Amino acid sequence: MKKAYKFSILYFLLFALILLLSSYMLFEKKIGFSIDSVLEYYLGNEKKFTVMYSWSGMLKVILPHIFAFGLFSMVVLHFLIFTNSKHFKRTKVLILILFISGAFELLSPFFIINGFEFFAAVKLVSFFLFELNLLYLFYLLFFSIVNE
Amino acid sequence: MRFTLIKDIKKDATMGPILNGLLIFTLSYLILDVIVTSSTLGLFFSELTTTLFGDEEEFLDPLSEVVFLEHIHTQIFFMMMILLTLSAVFARVSNKKSYSLLLINTTMLSGLSTLITLILGYYFSTLFLHLYIVSFFLWHLTALLMTLYSLWSLNFEKSI
Repeated sequence: MKKAYKFSILYFLLFALILLLSSYMLFEKKIGFSIDSVLEYYLGNEKKFTVMYSWSGMLKVILPHIFAFGLFSMVVLHFLIFTNSKHFKRTKVLILILFISGAFELLSPFFIINGFEFFAAVKLVSFFLFELNLLYLFYLLFFSIVNE
Repeated sequence: MRFTLIKDIKKDATMGPILNGLLIFTLSYLILDVIVTSSTLGLFFSELTTTLFGDEEEFLDPLSEVVFLEHIHTQIFFMMMILLTLSAVFARVSNKKSYSLLLINTTMLSGLSTLITLILGYYFSTLFLHLYIVSFFLWHLTALLMTLYSLWSLNFEKSI
């Protein structure tokens, strides 16, 4: 691989790390990492004068994220083609986990506002699964580029 | 990123217009980003501190942490995508030129510094905002150079 491409990908990984950090901080500040706080965020709380999320309000948040999740996942995953990891079975599993956890992370709020409170736990698990999976992918990419 | 594998982009009928289109959009983004940032966050120290921390005399509220984090989150995404595609095109068209690595490193590092110093400026000390301003202008300037050079190479170099 050309040196300039290597540098570009390494810098991309640094940007991606800050993106993950900012998403973690946003989740913590806006929603919180407990099932109750997730439910309260989406269903509202009379005591705190917060209202339930509407379908249109939810779509406004989710719509740009659907595109961003898909594009970001594709960009990160397609770099694996340039590494030895493409030959491993685990790569296919990682790809599946990334897209499935991303989809659950985005869609679980719709189930929450429709009365399926169990999806608050799904939202939390899928968020961490998505983030940790990405961190592992960054690790794989980083070492395969550095060791090439 | 098929263009990285084509031997001579000049001889490829489709890749030239595609890359020209991408670069013109990138050029527009870089120029408009300065204008938008100027009217939202501000480009200079006094404007920035007023936007981030408010001004009691003018009854301006400070920027809430959630709004600040949302701004940073969006900026990171756009910057990483713009810089990745731009550096890939630039690395391809400025083949074997010694300054291409220097320019890519400067743009990427100043881009990263823009984000990090703004976060540090908001959470720790306003002194970091001076560094933010320098980094902001530097990454825009170097990215602009990369875009213009890539456009020139694509359209006026004999073989790339």
